[in-house]
Amino acid sequence: MVVRVVTDSTSDIPSSVAQELRITIVPQYVCFSTKEYRDGIDLSTEDFYHRLASSPILPTTSATSPRDFHAAFTRLAEETDEIVSVNLSSRFGAAFNNALLAKDMIEKRCRIEVIDTRAGIMGQGLIVIAAAQSAQTGASLDEVVEVVHRIIPRAHVRITFDTLEYLRRGGRVGKAQALMGSLLKINPILGIKDGEAYPFAKVRGRAKAIDYLYDFVAGFSHISSLAVEHATTPDEAELLINRLDSLFPKERIYRSKVSPVVGAHVGPHVIAVSVVEGEH
Amino acid sequence: MSEITSCDGRDLRAMFSAATRSLERNAQSINTLNVFPVPDGDTGTNMLLTMRAAMEEASRCTDGSAATVAQAMAKGSLMGARGNSGVILSQIFRGLAKGLDGKHSFDGDDLAAALVESSALAYKGMSKPVEGTILTVIREVAAAAQTGNASHNGDLLAIMEVIVDEARASVARTPTLLPVLRQAGVVDAGGQGLYVVLDGALRCLRGEREEAETVPVEAAASISQGLAEDARYGYCTEFLLQGKDLNVEAARQKLITIGESVLVVGDESTIRAHLHTFDPGAALSYATSLGTLRQVKVENMDEQHRDFIVAQPQSSSAAISTITVASGEGLTEAFYSIGATIVVPGGETMNPSVQELLLAVESAPSDKVILLPNNPNILLAAGQVSALTQKKVEVVPTKTIPQGIAALLALNHDVDLEGNSAAMKKALSTVRSGEITTAVRSMELDGLSVKKGQAIAFLDRRLVIADGSMPQVILDLLAMMGVEEGGLITIYYGAGTESSEAEQIAELVQKKYPSQEVEVVAGGQPYYNCIVSVE
Repeated sequence: MVVRVVTDSTSDIPSSVAQELRITIVPQYVCFSTKEYRDGIDLSTEDFYHRLASSPILPTTSATSPRDFHAAFTRLAEETDEIVSVNLSSRFGAAFNNALLAKDMIEKRCRIEVIDTRAGIMGQGLIVIAAAQSAQTGASLDEVVEVVHRIIPRAHVRITFDTLEYLRRGGRVGKAQALMGSLLKINPILGIKDGEAYPFAKVRGRAKAIDYLYDFVAGFSHISSLAVEHATTPDEAELLINRLDSLFPKERIYRSKVSPVVGAHVGPHVIAVSVVEGEH
Repeated sequence: MSEITSCDGRDLRAMFSAATRSLERNAQSINTLNVFPVPDGDTGTNMLLTMRAAMEEASRCTDGSAATVAQAMAKGSLMGARGNSGVILSQIFRGLAKGLDGKHSFDGDDLAAALVESSALAYKGMSKPVEGTILTVIREVAAAAQTGNASHNGDLLAIMEVIVDEARASVARTPTLLPVLRQAGVVDAGGQGLYVVLDGALRCLRGEREEAETVPVEAAASISQGLAEDARYGYCTEFLLQGKDLNVEAARQKLITIGESVLVVGDESTIRAHLHTFDPGAALSYATSLGTLRQVKVENMDEQHRDFIVAQPQSSSAAISTITVASGEGLTEAFYSIGATIVVPGGETMNPSVQELLLAVESAPSDKVILLPNNPNILLAAGQVSALTQKKVEVVPTKTIPQGIAALLALNHDVDLEGNSAAMKKALSTVRSGEITTAVRSMELDGLSVKKGQAIAFLDRRLVIADGSMPQVILDLLAMMGVEEGGLITIYYGAGTESSEAEQIAELVQKKYPSQEVEVVAGGQPYYNCIVSVE
């Protein structure tokens, strides 16, 4: 039986890719006041940003509950006896822990492996995609798990956005605290290090921020997969993809959008690149 | 004229003490030998302060040997060196100390030999020696002393006569060597300063009585004036305001009526404000009418008299510290806000001494330090620091405030000192800097004719516009700066510019460059009405 792959919505995997690779995406939650939305299901990226601009109340987010994972695992256990759950960095939220809790509650005979990718957005997404591709070729659960563990240290993300306000209010700033309080307008360049947000650079001006993303990708001598995602600026993302074409064929670049849950923490005008470094 | 064959440490000290007094009387006139239509480093003041530091150290010598006194002068002048001319003067004394090493007294032979050392060290101190400056003067003086010595059998007084005659002649020749002096119709200020020093020393050796006038203290006064300026600001007031439907622009307009150096940032739900005011209560009660106050900070700025150095409140334990030079409350805070460890006050007319920079380096919380001088007149002093400390110091040669900001933003704590230095050097080349000020005198420079009182503009520190008035100058300047699609234009407005005027300028700029980001920062810097950067 084919190993089935589960992930959370913060992996930002486009639904067409998820469908094709039979990836099960379990939503996290965005909450405006008392109204709760399932990330990517009840609320698209466009709807979310529209609401963010018009709502007087800032959204909060919550992780996929153990019950949601339990439901997903139970459903898949009808079709397979091997499941891998490839989750958002445990430093960003409870999804990983909740998947572990759900695993222990599954009564049916089914092997489930839960992995902390120590990544997020398409950095996590590219790991999930590689896992699903390997599952589709008939790899065993152990082999898929090995693929995931081999890719985790080679997955890198850089994300930039226009304001630090949302990050500050969301509280999940980690070492990005160092960026706060600037009297000059700063475009932060964040990545993920040791599983948490890390300020890799601060630049002034959007153009320089995008240049940074390009240079970051250009710094890899071998690229095995690449993704570009945005929130509300498709033209800008497309321009970047066209520039990146010289480094990596643009037909193979995954185009995606940041999920509302991520959006709630970084605000509008997000653009990000995710790279899985090739093995030399 | 009686022969004076040799002299000891006490005589040496007396000679240069007299020289310092002579420099005191002439510092102001040396300051006016300025090739730029803006206050520029004040060579006379810088050399005087350097000499004073030299003689202060020399006065502490209990040993009367020439070697010890020269050594003390070298040390004192290096620690107190200000500006490029001060640093070169300190190298001249270092050469003197090297030449007189081990000698209790010295004669004309020894002096001639020591001056050769002085000349060599002075040249070595400059990465790109320029002829027609104090360097040429010391080189020609050393050469003349060598030749003259042959015919004077080591007679010190005779050699000093030769030296001073040559210094005078050499200074007079500087405009023939350096076009910028010719254009401005002046001799080199540093060379003139050296001549004054040597002449003062000679007069003392001859036994001439000095003019019995009190010591003019313009130099010291101008510096303490610079410091006292802050006092008129009263209280530095900062707060974070949270509320609904906040109007940043309206808050800014209101706070402008309450204080100076007003900075208001934020969005509809949060506003962060900073201002200097005599009435912090008025600012805070206005703020409470809009929403909930958080993080209120009111500091009496008059009490903040903090020597020359302000250490960052939340000093980081980072492995690399950054020390930068700026004047103006806004620029200082901007540097701190992007991670500077220490901002040493200084800039256009107040070049910090080597000692002040050294003190900052020593008080930084790490053993690795990057220095950003942000001014060509501070570069050389900054370059002296690494030899004086156990710490590892890299100087990134920033010549303007925007270069300093671009360099500081490139700091990466995951990379070592050398890697950071290289990245910062690369970053400073990505920004172009423009400076707008008012001409303090009429003159010719860079092929342009400047009239006193006009608005003039510099691009990467070259005069490019000389016939302007605001705000046209800033638009003309930007046109020359090559603003690129999607780029960032930053306007740091100075202490003499109203924030409303700055906002108007920004509006004009934004209109002309609709696809660029335009940011306005209350720099509060002296002299420059506006500093603009394009990146």
